[in-house]
Amino acid sequence: MNRDARGWRMALVPDALINPPAGAGAALPDVLRVLEASNYGVLQLPPPGGHSLLLAVIADQVAEYAHHGYAVVALGVHGEPGNGLHWRRLAPLLRNRGVVPPPRHLIRPDVDTSAQGQRLAAFLAGYDLPEAEQRRWRV
Amino acid sequence: MEQGVPRKVALVASCLLNQNAKVCEGANYPAVVSPVVQALRSRGYVLQQLPCPELAFAGVRRWWAVYEQYDTPAYRAHCRRLAQAIAPLIEQHLRRGDELILIGLDGSPSTGVRFTSSKPDWGGRPNRPEDDWEIVPRRGVWIEELEAELARRGLPPVPATGWALDMGRFDEAGARADLEQFLDSRETAAGSRGDDPVVP
Repeated sequence: MNRDARGWRMALVPDALINPPAGAGAALPDVLRVLEASNYGVLQLPPPGGHSLLLAVIADQVAEYAHHGYAVVALGVHGEPGNGLHWRRLAPLLRNRGVVPPPRHLIRPDVDTSAQGQRLAAFLAGYDLPEAEQRRWRV
Repeated sequence: MEQGVPRKVALVASCLLNQNAKVCEGANYPAVVSPVVQALRSRGYVLQQLPCPELAFAGVRRWWAVYEQYDTPAYRAHCRRLAQAIAPLIEQHLRRGDELILIGLDGSPSTGVRFTSSKPDWGGRPNRPEDDWEIVPRRGVWIEELEAELARRGLPPVPATGWALDMGRFDEAGARADLEQFLDSRETAAGSRGDDPVVP
């Protein structure tokens, strides 16, 4: 019997949402906790900066997941450079690997934290691959 | 990277934040390994996820394997590339005075810290009976290459332990107590020394 417990879903998450800068934590929902409660795994993106090789490594991993029945989303932060997602560089890296860039959800630090958490949870709950794709891979 | 007060940073194995990275039948949690995250966050650690070397090399549908099967020049070169990708971030943390620890995955052929899995005669058709590998006290291949890359950069060793997920029978309560003891011993040591890590 296969007792594997994997959830088959994960999110690309900016460093700023996993490790909020001092003082910013209160303005953001606890994204890691919401992901945990929603059974989403984490693919942590680096903080702003170069990180070209690391982004390529992350794109390799996303491609492997996306090609084998895993659902991947991206969470951004409104107001961060590139929403914290390095999107201008990450999206082409994904396309070069035959991956359609994943759906994005933006967190707004200037809006009610609790409501942001609920919106995020609803977004995560509502996303998955089509059932035919799930049946193909998730045995 | 944010400047200012030094932080406590935990470098964590990829699968501790994403169990989808595990080999088939190896995921004990749906996604995040909550006891590890709780233990770290409650002690003020920020998290830095390491890349998963096996996923990007052998794929998400890979067979199980032991240390000897991954101990190849091609896999080590792949691990070195990953180490070169993450090492600049680790170096930035060390140079700003952050206190770093590493939480790997004991029993893993790649990410084992205190223990890895070994069976020199594994190979060919994957028809071995369950649990016939051995647990031996040594690093996994990925951790060996990551530590070698940090040493090449002149960086000090990062104190490390492993979450005992791949040791055969998984005992969550035991693993949690073990991790908490490691973390609390770090607090005690830091408190008694009262000093900061030194980067040349």
